[in-house]
Amino acid sequence: MEILSVLFILAGLFFLIVAAIGVIRLPDVFSRAHAVSLTDSLGAFLMLVGLALHEGLSKNNLKIIAVLALLYIQNPVITHATIRAALRAGLKPWRREPS
Amino acid sequence: MKIFFFVVLLVLAILIGVYLYRVLQGPTIFDRVLGLNGISTKAIILLVLMGVVFERVDMFIDISTGYALLNLVGALAVAKYLEQKGLP
Amino acid sequence: MRPVSSEFLVLKATALFVLWVLLSGSFDWIHLVLGGVLSFTVAWINSGHSPFVPKFRLWGNILLYLPWLFLKIVQASLHMSKLILNPALPIDPRLIRVETKLGRRAAVVLLGNSITLTPGTITAEIDHDIVPEGLAIAPDPDALLVHAIDETLARDVTTGTLEAKIAEVFKNEERRW
Repeated sequence: MEILSVLFILAGLFFLIVAAIGVIRLPDVFSRAHAVSLTDSLGAFLMLVGLALHEGLSKNNLKIIAVLALLYIQNPVITHATIRAALRAGLKPWRREPS
Repeated sequence: MKIFFFVVLLVLAILIGVYLYRVLQGPTIFDRVLGLNGISTKAIILLVLMGVVFERVDMFIDISTGYALLNLVGALAVAKYLEQKGLP
Repeated sequence: MRPVSSEFLVLKATALFVLWVLLSGSFDWIHLVLGGVLSFTVAWINSGHSPFVPKFRLWGNILLYLPWLFLKIVQASLHMSKLILNPALPIDPRLIRVETKLGRRAAVVLLGNSITLTPGTITAEIDHDIVPEGLAIAPDPDALLVHAIDETLARDVTTGTLEAKIAEVFKNEERRW
């Protein structure tokens, strides 16, 4: 059980690090939002499931699952609101130059 | 096991620093809002992890729930405001 | 005094009470009585609007839909991390238009949330379309505007497998906008 939880936490940490690299490297707001959504969907899921496995069978697991459900409901809403505001404020998405 | 959790905590803190660079440096204000959203997701994970390290999960997970709800309200308010106002 | 119209008042209060027990986590009877009184009061205050009609079959279908969505999320995440870790950064962002014929507000909400939750595609507008010159926004009720980062991830959305899956979830509901 411990080994499984360590594996889950390491996988989640990998996705979090990749998302941070993406936030630094990508060129504009719209593509950076994709990197942040990578953290929100898979990284948080793997980290929290790993922590719940480490915690064992207790009532705290229900609360961890509740936090996870809350994250999965609220993160798409926040990302969509930010991107819509950026588009309506008149930012143009970055395009690759046809070479 | 405790040392492993401390290393994970340290890595999460460094990642928050990386996002903070984007918040301080971002060319437009939407970059800053997006960076704050990423920081708050990582802060939720960090609070749960801290609860596991200090063996007080039942207390820290309530704090993280409240943090998540406050983040939702704040981010939506900022996004609606910027949508009406346009680029500063 | 507002008329108390909801016949599902007890059911709504029960749902709130379950949430209370989940969040408080203690079973001594002061907490239970306080939670019961508070949840019944909140359900009674809110009974004037938004009738709470439980649709258990629809919720079961949504619960069965979630593992399939999670599989798509894992595939898209692996593709997205390959894109980011590539030194050449081979991204090609684009705005695409996704037609929907779902015809129900809840189904369109589920579709937009699923698209946003998958890394690499983000729903930008739900009921507006974009005019290319100067990026002006025009109303358009039956298409979603999606920002995709790559052609392969964009193809996942435009082929319509996601929409067919969601139409299957909602197939037992009567069409209501």
